[in-house]
Amino acid sequence: MDLLLQYLANGIVNGSNYVLVAVGLTLVFGILGVVNFAHGEFYMLGAYTGLILVINYGLPIWAALAGVLVVAVILGLGAEGLLNKMLKERDATSSIIASFGLAVVLQNSALIGFGPSPMLMQTKYSTIGVEMGPVYLPLQQLLIPVAMVALISVLYLVLRYTWTGRSLRAMAQHAVVARMCGVRVQRVAVITFIVSALLAGIAGFLMSSVYMVYPIIGNMIVLKAFTVVILGGMGNVAGAAAAGLLLGIVESLTSAYLGNGLRDIVGFVIVIAVLLLRPQGLFGRTFQRS
Amino acid sequence: MKKNLSLVILVLLLAAVPFLVQGSYIVSLLLLMLVYVILTTGLNLVTGFCGQFSFAQGAFFGIGAYTAGIMSRDLHTGFWVHLPAGMIITGLCGLLLGIPALRLKGHFLAIVTIAFQTIVYLGLVQWTSFTGGQNGLPVEPVGDVSLFGAHLFTIDGLRANYWLILTATVVLVVIAERLVKSRLGREWVAVRDDEVLASAIGLNATRAKLTAFVASAAFAGAAGVLMAHYMGNIAPDDYTIWISCTIVAMMIIGGKGSFYGPILGVALLTLLPEMLGDWARYRMLFFGVLLVLAIALMPEGIAGRVRKLRATKEAQA
Amino acid sequence: MSTAPILEARGIHRRFGGVVAVKDVSLSVGVGEIVGLIGPNGSGKSTMVNLITGELEANGGSFLFGGQDVTALPPYKRARLGMARSFQMIRLFGSLSVEDNLLLAHHIRMQSSTLDTILGRAQAVQEEDAVRAKARELLQWFEMEQFAKRPATDLSIGQQRMVELARGLISMPKLFLLDEPAAGLSPPNVDRLVGIIRRMRDEFGMSILLVEHDMRVVRELCDQVVVLDSGVMIAQGHPEAVVNDPVVVEAYIGSGWKRRAKA
Repeated sequence: MDLLLQYLANGIVNGSNYVLVAVGLTLVFGILGVVNFAHGEFYMLGAYTGLILVINYGLPIWAALAGVLVVAVILGLGAEGLLNKMLKERDATSSIIASFGLAVVLQNSALIGFGPSPMLMQTKYSTIGVEMGPVYLPLQQLLIPVAMVALISVLYLVLRYTWTGRSLRAMAQHAVVARMCGVRVQRVAVITFIVSALLAGIAGFLMSSVYMVYPIIGNMIVLKAFTVVILGGMGNVAGAAAAGLLLGIVESLTSAYLGNGLRDIVGFVIVIAVLLLRPQGLFGRTFQRS
Repeated sequence: MKKNLSLVILVLLLAAVPFLVQGSYIVSLLLLMLVYVILTTGLNLVTGFCGQFSFAQGAFFGIGAYTAGIMSRDLHTGFWVHLPAGMIITGLCGLLLGIPALRLKGHFLAIVTIAFQTIVYLGLVQWTSFTGGQNGLPVEPVGDVSLFGAHLFTIDGLRANYWLILTATVVLVVIAERLVKSRLGREWVAVRDDEVLASAIGLNATRAKLTAFVASAAFAGAAGVLMAHYMGNIAPDDYTIWISCTIVAMMIIGGKGSFYGPILGVALLTLLPEMLGDWARYRMLFFGVLLVLAIALMPEGIAGRVRKLRATKEAQA
Repeated sequence: MSTAPILEARGIHRRFGGVVAVKDVSLSVGVGEIVGLIGPNGSGKSTMVNLITGELEANGGSFLFGGQDVTALPPYKRARLGMARSFQMIRLFGSLSVEDNLLLAHHIRMQSSTLDTILGRAQAVQEEDAVRAKARELLQWFEMEQFAKRPATDLSIGQQRMVELARGLISMPKLFLLDEPAAGLSPPNVDRLVGIIRRMRDEFGMSILLVEHDMRVVRELCDQVVVLDSGVMIAQGHPEAVVNDPVVVEAYIGSGWKRRAKA
């Protein structure tokens, strides 16, 4: 039982990471209809920004975090300009291909700039651990679910109670009508992309102390994020949160009881099954398959 | 007629290259290019002509290669068994991938193909007892070719493999052309352009999509077997999503839906980076930039742009 | 004519979520008959056409085509049995030439196998050439043979509509469903359309189900008219009788008109 709780705790940590990465993507994919395969690069560059600022420049964590936020905003703006503003009118897969190209560019820039050797964020908090009954988590890992809950709650409140949030929900229903009602669709799109980059960048930054960072970590993360987006229902923030935690826990249990090799595969098998059997996701509403 | 003649001349020129150049660099580059011609032509069948997006061509490439490797290890068979076996097994996997395609469109289909590609890659890496994992598998070269017991020649080493692959490429490209020009090829285009209308005039869209997936996968399988026997050793990292992405890029830049456009795209994307010389480090980066520029500014590809220019000229005349 | 009708719809029901689009509708089209299907906007006419062709699945009821129960068949199988249709919003294969559009519609009638065409066997090549010649002949009948090799999207709306009709004809259907064929056509083109539809029945023996808003077309062509309102059939019979039926008038114009007229 004790072991099970530990596995669950590990699963929640990983799951929280997935939630942070996936929530931004569900807004971009679910509402703007843009498939952004470079989303994993927001995560990767968030991690590298933090690492470089802390390790190479000796900045304190807070300053590094600020740097991550700045980089994320720039990336979000750039991605929106390319994938949304330019390619909106085209067929569905143009944005996929363009985002692949963007991902290649960003990954290879990172490879050239930072080298292929993995890096890990070591800070004075690295050795501190927290015990909660039979469960042990390093402080840096515990931070992740905490940050996730805080950020997602803020996001949820913003979506419900602010004009921007309502605009976004309106756009999800019908972009043309939303524009006619005065929603500044372009501005909302930019904000959405920036938010998605910020959340992913922060996730990368937080996780840089948990797992090694190297230029291609974005690949797997973006696929997991799409899995979570689809499981949770496109555009559904609460759904993505639930699905992200679920995926983290399922992976942790799979790794523990079925073998580590199946850990990554299980998510992809699930997403194919979901797309075939229940394309609105586990928590989404039914929609017409085009 | 003129087109056929120029193609024959091109093939003869390609065949003559090993006699015309020193060293192995150019021949091995052309060999790689030919393998990608097979891969990209195959992808063009399902994505360009039938309109079903597939990011899984790299996975089928790998399945073909590993068919050769695993059969070689466990059944001690050779290339001439592996080639048809590889194409059949990959074709069946293509059928498997085609089934979700029947119900999904656009983004969702693309995601399923990406998930499939990733599952295959992860399977190759993780299932070490079957695939050898990251250590890879050795594959014997094609070896002796005999007809009725009489030894004709041995296919071993760069030149022989180059000519074998050139022959295979020509054969497969001809097959692809026949498919595209046939009734099946027209039905692929009909399903791509308007599936509802295609059904309304009595065409079986399911059959069209499944045959397209099977054909494109079989092409990748053939490429996989050929490459495996040439390289002598195969490993999972040769069959990643980035290979799939490269193939998609070649098809897009060349012009999807045109028959020879993607082949041009292959040539461009294999040869251009080589001309970077000292800047070769930046090859993948350059490649990514090219892809983004192409999809943003010229989504119809080179062939498509040429076609448009010709049409405008005709209209003005 | 005492032969069985080519199309029989019995008790057709179709729901979209909470909205009943078609409620217990029955109709039939006799061999060689032109039946009109009319009704105000949203009455379920196009839905009915989509149910007949199989694009939409009926929630209840059955369809008999040439005496055969086709209710469970997907659209492509119904087309192969001899159902052709045109669409309210013109649908053509834009990337292909007019001739290729017609050729594709004839695929289901070809004798040679698909494999033969892949192999390029003489028999298959000859058959395709023959069908292309037939397509050009058909275009001549429409006085459009000069457009044979042009991309379908090059043509004007009126011409595209004719191509749609030609496409339906070339497969020699038993029943041709026309969904608002006069929509968007200029008056001279509408006249041409009426003439062509009449010739399709007279010269080719085709049965036709015609969904239309243009009453002139309906009155000139139809042997029989069925009227839908809010998914229910409210009248059926000879065009003149139906058009003057007060129930039908009320459906189109609304009862408020009568009340206000009385006051």
